[in-house]
Amino acid sequence: MAGADSPSAALRRRDLCARGIRLAGKMRSDVVDLLDAYVEQQGLDASASVAAVEGVPPAAVERWDEQTGTQRLLENLAAYRAFRGLLAQMLEEQREQLGEADAALGRALAAVLLQVSAFAYHLEELLRLESRGPPSDEGDGPPPQPQSVFEQKLRGLGVLRELAQWAVRSARDLRQLAKPGPGAGSAPSPAESP
Amino acid sequence: MCWSLKELIPPEPVQKQPVVAWGSAESGGKEGAKIPDLSSEGWSSSQKNPLDVYENLGTPQGLWTGGEMANPVPSACCMVLAAVVVVYAQRHSQPDSHTQFERVGADVTMKCGSMDWDAAVTWTVNGTDIDESHLNGSYLILKNVDLSQSGQYSCYEGSAWHLKYQTTLKVGTPPREPVLMCRSNNYPKGFYCSWHLPTPTYIPNTFNISVIHGTKEMVCEKDAVPKNRCHIRYLQLFSTVKYKVTLTVTNALGKNYTTVTFDEFAIVKPDPPESVVAKPVPNNPRRLEVSWQNPSSWPDPESFPLKFFLRYRPLILDQWQHVELSDGTSHTITDAYAGKEYIIQVAAKDNDIGTWSDWSVAVHATPWTEEPKHLTTEAQITETTSASTSSFMAPPTTKICDKGAVVGSGAVAVCWTAGLVVAAYSVLFI
Repeated sequence: MAGADSPSAALRRRDLCARGIRLAGKMRSDVVDLLDAYVEQQGLDASASVAAVEGVPPAAVERWDEQTGTQRLLENLAAYRAFRGLLAQMLEEQREQLGEADAALGRALAAVLLQVSAFAYHLEELLRLESRGPPSDEGDGPPPQPQSVFEQKLRGLGVLRELAQWAVRSARDLRQLAKPGPGAGSAPSPAESP
Repeated sequence: MCWSLKELIPPEPVQKQPVVAWGSAESGGKEGAKIPDLSSEGWSSSQKNPLDVYENLGTPQGLWTGGEMANPVPSACCMVLAAVVVVYAQRHSQPDSHTQFERVGADVTMKCGSMDWDAAVTWTVNGTDIDESHLNGSYLILKNVDLSQSGQYSCYEGSAWHLKYQTTLKVGTPPREPVLMCRSNNYPKGFYCSWHLPTPTYIPNTFNISVIHGTKEMVCEKDAVPKNRCHIRYLQLFSTVKYKVTLTVTNALGKNYTTVTFDEFAIVKPDPPESVVAKPVPNNPRRLEVSWQNPSSWPDPESFPLKFFLRYRPLILDQWQHVELSDGTSHTITDAYAGKEYIIQVAAKDNDIGTWSDWSVAVHATPWTEEPKHLTTEAQITETTSASTSSFMAPPTTKICDKGAVVGSGAVAVCWTAGLVVAAYSVLFI
């Protein structure tokens, strides 16, 4: 296996990053559309604030510019693995609640779930390139189940909102990774930028 | 504050050194005139006979010397001067200065300090006497005040013009709800908020801004210029928690506030692209090459790339053409109308979030056009037919055969026919 800093590895990394950025952009666009449809179908207020929901990985990060490439990949991977479980649960709940009443929403959910899985795989590939290898996917088990239908709806809103943020963050992270330099180093601080 | 003459004039004689005092005779300079005797006043004379001095100096005055008592003339001058000073000070002494703020349209009553209602006073505004019709006793009544009545009001007692009260009246309005706007033109560094009042209050206002992100209160650092702006550094990125910004404006007549709430991404709006340049492309009558630069306020275009929107139209038309460009800072327009001047503008947006910038400064450019060649052709024909006696001048065949100038296939046939005719004539006359 080529070393992480070899020219072929660098090319492979740039290629994976470029494709990952495109995938993240498509994913975000689909998640935003899904979010609009979900809010309408579930009768929710789009502007409602949703407190941090247990099990939903927040995209918010401090000192983002100071993260190393490996940190970025690990945090992204952990998030998308979590989203994979959450979306699968949402899909199941949606089928139970509505059956075939809103097949379109179900299909949109399934499509996003597929993209999330693909993106997680993409991140695993990038981690292998870093000669690091992805951590095992055993995780902490399935995410906790909301107690009531209303809680399910609110959690669904929180999941989709955070996923939309993560899609933007992931694109930024991959651009940082794709920058030429010593491996996947940290970006210059915004304070240093012109 | 008033001073008495006693306070101003020191009790002791001012001068203690030997002085010369002059006393004047009642009759001027005549022999036998009486010299006043000042010996009883503590003056002594060194002259045995003051008349000798009178005769020697030829003046009616006597000469006395003394050292214990102030000269009466300077003393009198001091008293007069002191009196003037006191009167001046009393007239112009400053009572405590007041400022009062009143709403436009309010009725204002001013009291002359602690003066009784029935005291005789004079009110002035900015030094000009106010008509007595505005007075109720010693109170000044201003009804339905307007902005022009702002000024310094003074109240003087009686004919002595003792200043008893002074206030600065400022007429204005309480603040209306301010207009607040927040924007990030330097993402991901931070964002700024700016504000203004929809209508002026005409009196001083203070602004206080609070920025809350979740449970955290953030500091908004005021900009030196402009004064109605402050900026916040992002502590977190990619947060779904909204920002809540509240601006409170307060003045002496009231307060008001406004609140805006927004997501991190929603306020991202870059500044317009800079250094937009449009140039013709040589030998391409339908192309214009446009280039620009990222706005200098955007801190990290490599990590946070911008995409661009270019619009262009010929000056003679109103309809814009649009092109969206996902990368790069240049573009070649390939469908420009030949010879027409174009106006071109560019806008920018973060690749993933936020809104489009305002349009850049407009630039003008005209596509390349071919130089007219008919003058060159005539010169060549004139040279080749110089031996001929004919004055025939060949028509400008190049111009009318120029494909750029020709419209329609019929004109092409005419062009070739004309060319053949000219060639025939040229052969005949060479």
